Amino acid sequence: MTSQVIEGGAPSRGRAFLASFIKNILPAVPLLLIVGFFFLFPIARLIYVSFLSNDNTFTIDNFKTAVQEPYRTGFLNSIKIGVFSAAIAAFPGAIAAYFIETRGNSKLRRTIAVMSGVLANTGGVPLAFMFYAALGMQGYLTKFLKYLGWDLYAGTFSLGSFIGLLVVYLYFQLPLMVIVFSPAIVSLRREWSEAARNLGASQFNYWIRIGIPLLFPSFIASFLLLFASGFSAYATANALTVGNLPLTPLQIGGLLDGNVSAAQLNLGKALGVVMIVISACAVIPYLAIQRRSAKWQKR
Amino acid sequence: MAKTLRVRFQPPLVLTLLILGFFVFIPMISAFEYSIRTPLTGGYGWTHYIWAIREDDFFHYILRSMWLAGVTVTITLFVLVPTLTWLHLSRSKVRGLIDGLSLLPLVIPVVAFAVGAQISFPEFVQNTVLELPFLYFVLALPYAYRSLDIGLNSIPLKTITEAARSAGANWWRTITAVIVPVIRGSVMATIALTFALSLGEYTLTVLLHWDTFPTWVTFVAQDNILGAIAISMMSLIIPFLILTVITLFVPERSMQGRK
Repeated sequence: MTSQVIEGGAPSRGRAFLASFIKNILPAVPLLLIVGFFFLFPIARLIYVSFLSNDNTFTIDNFKTAVQEPYRTGFLNSIKIGVFSAAIAAFPGAIAAYFIETRGNSKLRRTIAVMSGVLANTGGVPLAFMFYAALGMQGYLTKFLKYLGWDLYAGTFSLGSFIGLLVVYLYFQLPLMVIVFSPAIVSLRREWSEAARNLGASQFNYWIRIGIPLLFPSFIASFLLLFASGFSAYATANALTVGNLPLTPLQIGGLLDGNVSAAQLNLGKALGVVMIVISACAVIPYLAIQRRSAKWQKR
Repeated sequence: MAKTLRVRFQPPLVLTLLILGFFVFIPMISAFEYSIRTPLTGGYGWTHYIWAIREDDFFHYILRSMWLAGVTVTITLFVLVPTLTWLHLSRSKVRGLIDGLSLLPLVIPVVAFAVGAQISFPEFVQNTVLELPFLYFVLALPYAYRSLDIGLNSIPLKTITEAARSAGANWWRTITAVIVPVIRGSVMATIALTFALSLGEYTLTVLLHWDTFPTWVTFVAQDNILGAIAISMMSLIIPFLILTVITLFVPERSMQGRK
């Protein structure tokens, strides 16, 4: 009798599990499979292999080498270009986003959205060409500036130098700022500024007490995302520099292609892992802030 | 109100657009001027564009890139629209997990992802160019996911689905004939975004040793620089045109899922 109950119970419990699986997880399986195989698996394997020596034993030597020269300079340069390009692009980008969102009509806003989308994705050789044509030795802007009395190339300037690369990076960082920061501005409600004014606040008061405090978290978040974008940009740096400026993405690319030989086979993987850690330090706070401000941004 | 705003002259806006415009268009126009130079005759002409189009590889690579981008868009829509619809309807516990997963690609620099991809996949995956659309899908996932998520949030999904289901539509028809048209703004934005990203992807493609249109441009630059500039200009203008057509075609109301 008892055994019958158990026998009868087991399949129904199995069926219940199956039913709950179908109901709760099954529809997500295709997405989970693709993300798991094409994303989580490579990243997990990258992390695992970065801890292997040439004869596949556990080691942290790869990481020791990764923080020494010349890779140390590579990281410092990459972090520097990420911070500077984000810092220079953030404020003008935010102002531009503000005027476009608050003063522009809908057709203009949509055109700008499309253009920003394309421009934020430019990079590599096409972007390099545009800047050679404008700011190269024979570039139009170079000639114009020379005519005005400012010889760009009098000093050590070149497009492949740190400063040159910084200027070029702004070309995709500015539109990126406009894209990332616009939602925050859209969600600043007109009622708030009207309410403030009705209570006797001046325009200045409104911005100091309400506008800026509300936008500040999103501004910091956008800055962090821009940092990550500048820090990890590969294509443009690859097109413009000729090995004169050590940057981590280029060093990884060189190791991956076998252009650069290293005593440690898995050094490139360790560099990749360190990049992920640095990038995560910026992107995770970005996501956290986004999530928080999404609460009041919902209409 | 909106009308009067539109007519009124907006000095700060005009100034902003002028400054941005200079920054964006001076490099672009300079490069364009280079691309229409004809060094032999000293004048201007479309020589380099004609040269580029006559290259056998031009259509080969542009078609290949478009085809890969098309596959990426298909994967994105086929996987994300049903999954997200279900997530929104079912209040499943995995929603938090999937929300988090979808944002994770933002954290990983593409170079690091490329290294991981190179050492992980079995031969049969590495040997087919079809690995690229899946990897592009991952790169576009944070944006595509969020865009569709916003779209689905802004509609009374439950009511619409129940209406369609009780009118006798099966799930497939409910999604294709009811949900997708209702959130077409988000769907179009997702298509535009995924398509543009796949069409221009360079880092991952080149590090995995595949050839697509963007990597071909780099290759051409080694022996015909003006021709390569012409191709670069096209590689900027083509996605721009495609995106403009896609965005401007969609009625405005549905574009602003957030409001």
